[in-house]
Amino acid sequence: MIQDIAPYIALIGIRKAYRIGGEMMPIFSGLDLTIPRGDFVAVMGPSGSGKSTLLNMLAGIDRPDAGTLSIGTSRLDQMGEAARSAWRAHNMGIVFQFYNLLPMLNAAENVELPLLLKPLSRKERRLRVERVLDLVGLSGWEKQYPAMMSGGQQQRIGIARAIVSDPGLLLCDEPTGDLDRKSADEVLDMLRFLNRELEKTIVMVTHDPQAALYARRTLHLDKGDFVEEKRAA
Amino acid sequence: MTFLDLARKNAWRMPLRTVLLMVSIAVAFLIYGLTASFINGAQGAAGASDDLLGVTSAGGRTQPLPMAAKSRIAADPGVAVVGYVKRLRGFVDVERNVVAISAADPDLLMTVNGKELGLTPALVGAIGQSHDKVLVGRALAEAQGWTVGQRVTVTAFDTPREDGGRDWRFEIAGIFEGESAATDSYFMIARYGYVNAARARAKDTVDAFVVRPRAGVSPGELAARIDTLFANSATPTRTQSEKQFLEAFLRQYADIELIVNLVVGAAFVTLLMIVVNIMVFAVRERTFEIGLLKTLGFSRLRILALILGETLFVFAVGGGIGLALAKLATVAAGPVLGLVFSAAVLAKAIAIITVLGLASGALPAFNAMRTPIIKAFRTR
Ligand SMILES: Nc1ncnc2c1ncn2[C@@H]1O[C@H](COP(=O)(O)OP(=O)(O)OP(=O)(O)O)[C@@H](O)[C@H]1O
Ligand SMILES: [Mg+2]
Repeated sequence: MIQDIAPYIALIGIRKAYRIGGEMMPIFSGLDLTIPRGDFVAVMGPSGSGKSTLLNMLAGIDRPDAGTLSIGTSRLDQMGEAARSAWRAHNMGIVFQFYNLLPMLNAAENVELPLLLKPLSRKERRLRVERVLDLVGLSGWEKQYPAMMSGGQQQRIGIARAIVSDPGLLLCDEPTGDLDRKSADEVLDMLRFLNRELEKTIVMVTHDPQAALYARRTLHLDKGDFVEEKRAA
Repeated sequence: MTFLDLARKNAWRMPLRTVLLMVSIAVAFLIYGLTASFINGAQGAAGASDDLLGVTSAGGRTQPLPMAAKSRIAADPGVAVVGYVKRLRGFVDVERNVVAISAADPDLLMTVNGKELGLTPALVGAIGQSHDKVLVGRALAEAQGWTVGQRVTVTAFDTPREDGGRDWRFEIAGIFEGESAATDSYFMIARYGYVNAARARAKDTVDAFVVRPRAGVSPGELAARIDTLFANSATPTRTQSEKQFLEAFLRQYADIELIVNLVVGAAFVTLLMIVVNIMVFAVRERTFEIGLLKTLGFSRLRILALILGETLFVFAVGGGIGLALAKLATVAAGPVLGLVFSAAVLAKAIAIITVLGLASGALPAFNAMRTPIIKAFRTR
């Protein structure tokens, strides 16, 4: 696989603290991290170690208190809400543990959601939706509502929604945390395919060591820093 | 799917809640449509002309003016024509069935406000054939089921005959249509000469002169001149445009429009409170999803538009149903009750729908717009 030399994601001296009951609880006090384009990183660590906080900052929905956070050519730490909103629409797809599909929309409409933000015709949107549903193996399920689908299917719809705008970066917060082994492996296979074949850069938070094996490397977060970094085969 | 579909689907998530909301909105706009049509139509003010001036006694509308005043009014260079009317009020068959008669000179009436009443030379010719002929307005004729050639007897409340009786017998010579649906045509036109000759009292007086100013003459200035002319006479006058005249006429009893507006306004304010309250809760329930949409890249403005779109949709459907019912009611019962659902009523209703739709969505939309994503995500 070709990986750029220049880091795609760069975090330098990131500080983040939350106010809990009047006291500032530091989560990160000077976190550094670089991820090259085309990488597939698993982030592991105990509960409360700041994995979701890290992912939220990468997604541009939370901001560091201090430090530099750049993705591609964008300095997310310096951008206001409106700019980050536009950045999210075009550069980042996100997959959640509990899928977070909208219950009143069918599968195709859920996937189409991010495309409403793009200057595409109705027909172009439909074609794109068909293409990604096919990619996640759910063509023919367009009209089904989330409530009628299994967890594994819902998560594949979630992945389809995350990639339908063709973003370079895919963020996953425990994407298999709610799935049985078989469904989890299907989802992880799909993520690996997206990384290998479509060259998506993926950052995946997980508690599952088996899931981490699908990644190119695993970062262990503890007490606000990476304690170990190992390359997967 | 489009952005609007998304707002619509959001509205239908709680079908019962949405249907109940739409029903209350529909009822409010049905009432609005009916009352606005009433004010518009029953007063006749909608179709009333602003160019015609009505000259009545400053002492009150029931005080007569001497016919002699006509030539003095006509002498003003700004006056094109002067007509005159004597009004009779009476009933047909039963006392509840009140009708009004305007006694006038048919030819003059034709020149002064023939256009507004929809008079034609044929109609004027028909009433001219004998002294007891009358022309009946379309609304009155339909309500009474009268046809041309029929004889009718009106028992006057206010104008006894010289022979001591109160029964005035007429023969219907024709039916006038009025310029538009909004013109008041719930009355009949009789010949002044006949009524004046046969009445017991106040001969050679009129209730009002109707003045058509010459082209280019300001009706307001002419009205002031006429009133000045009679200011120091035995019968001071009050000159108003026909529209003002009709509005003031109703105001003598009560300011119906004001009362109706207050009641309808209160209903709308209540409706607004209810919808705001429901929408604030409905949107709060969806805080997590709004956070999700923001995560996908929906800007604050889009979130605002999404929620405003939803309330606008609910108001448009509910209001549309209410107005459609109001329109049906005015078409079915309009001529009798004088309800006129005009384009102006519709335009005003659409404006109110828009304002209420936006106003009721504003607070929840603003809340949703401001909630940070991280906070929204912690609601689940
Ligand atoms: N918005 C917030 N306000 C206050 N404290 C927060 C907020 N978000 C996270 N925290 C706290 O920050 C710490 C790190 O949270 P985070 O969700 O990043 O952990 P995590 O590694 O994802 O844990 P888990 O494995 O349980 O998901 C926790 O102690 C959490 O309580
Ligand atoms: Mg977490």
